[in-house]
Amino acid sequence: MKFMDWLDERLAVRQLIKVMLTEYYVPKNINFLWSFGVLIMVVFAILVVSGIFLLMYYKPDSHLAFDSVNKTIMMDVEYGWLFRHTHAVAASIMFLVLYVHMARGIYYGSFKAPREIVWITGYILFVLMAATAFTGYLLPWGQMSYWAAQTITTLFEKIPFIGPDLVVWIRGNYIVEDATLTRFFALHVVFLPLLLIVFTAIHLYAVRIVGSNNEDGIELTKEEKKHGKGIPFWPVFMAKEFFVISVFLIFFFYLVFYQYKFAMDPINFTPADYLQTPTHIYPEWYFLAFYEVLRGFFFSQNLGLIAFVLSMFIAAFLPWLDTSPIKSGNHRPLYKILFFIFVADFVFLTILGKLPPTGLYAWLGFAGSLVYFAFFFALPIISRIEKKKLEGGR
Amino acid sequence: MKELKILLILVVVVLVGYWGIEPYAHSVMHGEVKKPDYNYSDLKTTAATTGDPAKGKELFVANCASCHGLKNDGINPGMDKNAAIASFNVVPPDLSNIAAILDHKFLAAFIKNPQQATENPKFAMPPMAQLSDEDVGHIIAYLSSVAKKNLDGKEITIEACGRCHSIKYQKIYAETPAENLKAYLGKVPPDLSVMGKAKELEYLETFINNPQNGLPGTSMPRLGLTKESTEKVVAYLDQIADPHREQRNKLGMWVIGYLVVMVGLTFAWKKKIWKNIH
Repeated sequence: MKFMDWLDERLAVRQLIKVMLTEYYVPKNINFLWSFGVLIMVVFAILVVSGIFLLMYYKPDSHLAFDSVNKTIMMDVEYGWLFRHTHAVAASIMFLVLYVHMARGIYYGSFKAPREIVWITGYILFVLMAATAFTGYLLPWGQMSYWAAQTITTLFEKIPFIGPDLVVWIRGNYIVEDATLTRFFALHVVFLPLLLIVFTAIHLYAVRIVGSNNEDGIELTKEEKKHGKGIPFWPVFMAKEFFVISVFLIFFFYLVFYQYKFAMDPINFTPADYLQTPTHIYPEWYFLAFYEVLRGFFFSQNLGLIAFVLSMFIAAFLPWLDTSPIKSGNHRPLYKILFFIFVADFVFLTILGKLPPTGLYAWLGFAGSLVYFAFFFALPIISRIEKKKLEGGR
Repeated sequence: MKELKILLILVVVVLVGYWGIEPYAHSVMHGEVKKPDYNYSDLKTTAATTGDPAKGKELFVANCASCHGLKNDGINPGMDKNAAIASFNVVPPDLSNIAAILDHKFLAAFIKNPQQATENPKFAMPPMAQLSDEDVGHIIAYLSSVAKKNLDGKEITIEACGRCHSIKYQKIYAETPAENLKAYLGKVPPDLSVMGKAKELEYLETFINNPQNGLPGTSMPRLGLTKESTEKVVAYLDQIADPHREQRNKLGMWVIGYLVVMVGLTFAWKKKIWKNIH
């Protein structure tokens, strides 16, 4: 205890623990979906640790990368395979956890005032995570690594005036080559993780200020939470969180040991070859929905690209699209229906994104893209309907 | 109860998505993999598949040994490796064990017409039109009599694939130089080190049985391996591509067992902390 006193005098740790944990209250009426924020931190920690171990043997050089991953790490280094499997599966599952976290925010209206900053920083984190995943996917230098990078960097060509020069600038060469691999490596292991940590700090700080939303979307004051309507973050909330983490880890490690193929596509075990385009090029599953918007929108490359950019960023503007005074989907029958149509549509687009864009699939993809945007453009309308209803009720 | 309902929705959404991007997408992209045909029933030949080994040896020395050696019986090829590469862009195989790994009907059809049997019009060996149906039988009988039995997967793989394919993670390098293979086949054949991971095993079996069934238009010749040799090659490629499988399966059980205990402990702790919270 003496040591605690000593620390407390210098760092005010007791006060810190109170503010951050024991007297930080979260509402009682939240379900396990509110545990996904901490789950994301857990997955991020797993990625950092496994990534550091991979970094010790990986060679960011187009002649060495494939063998350093598939021979050195996967075969020669003791338990090297474990770190690669863990890293690959964690990268994939990160997006599952992120999507659940975001969907919870959308359904319960957690993006609404006063939590706009929480939503925006969260959205920036999602985009940064997408960039981290994309740059990381090039590193094993397999066929799909190569062609995914080639395809996605080509998209920038369509930007007016600077497009073609921009593509060369990004790649550091006229095609994806050694220079591209080295700079993606730098972004993946230093720059992007650094930004992720900075924005995570802002995101968490903002949550501490405005507090968590809850199932009913009715704001609780600190006093209300202190006296019956809330639970302290430590130990009460975290007691449940540890249980959720344990269950999640069973699922996670089951994938790592027995079902890793979805995160390590067989085609990526063929070394990159710029002379041989694979029959089917597709991104990892978490980008498939946006990819489907890209290639299906009005069957036009230019419109597809615009729609793709819009589909990636439109959700960031949710706080200003949905201005309804009611927060939670539980109390918004119309919104609830729209939300579940949106979720179904996102899964639908994800599936179509991997299928060949021909015949019926192309038309279904186009229809799915329209539904995707329809959700966002319907929000101002139902907000107005709900406002009118509220005013009429008074 | 309410939380279980939410969990159920979550699980259903994830499973539908998984089904769509894995099993369903794969079935659409790759279609049905054709079954291998180990009877080589498309090959019609009247040539015999057995005969007198002694006569076979004489015929072998007269007709085959100018290009092919047969180490098991002390026969060296008439031309050395470099001369063969210069003329054919590929090393002719030593035929010591060929009868142990190839189907004999295929072998008979192959000797008569290699281009047809391999389904590769540019196959380097010329048809042996001078041999009668009985002669072919004698040669096959001779080859069978000298061939080593019970070759393992690695030996078969080197015999069947090693003239063109490297397996560099196993320090096995193609006998024929890459530039000659490129001239012969149009491209350098892929390294087989992690082929067992790059392709489904079922596909590999079909592909080895008849490359045209897996990759129409490929310049890889059909090899005519027996069912047993094909399976041994596939098992070998699988094993070298994933050498830590046993360790992984074992460790997986420990990790998941440990986490099951964790779930029990954390659940008990949660119960204790939440006892007075309603």
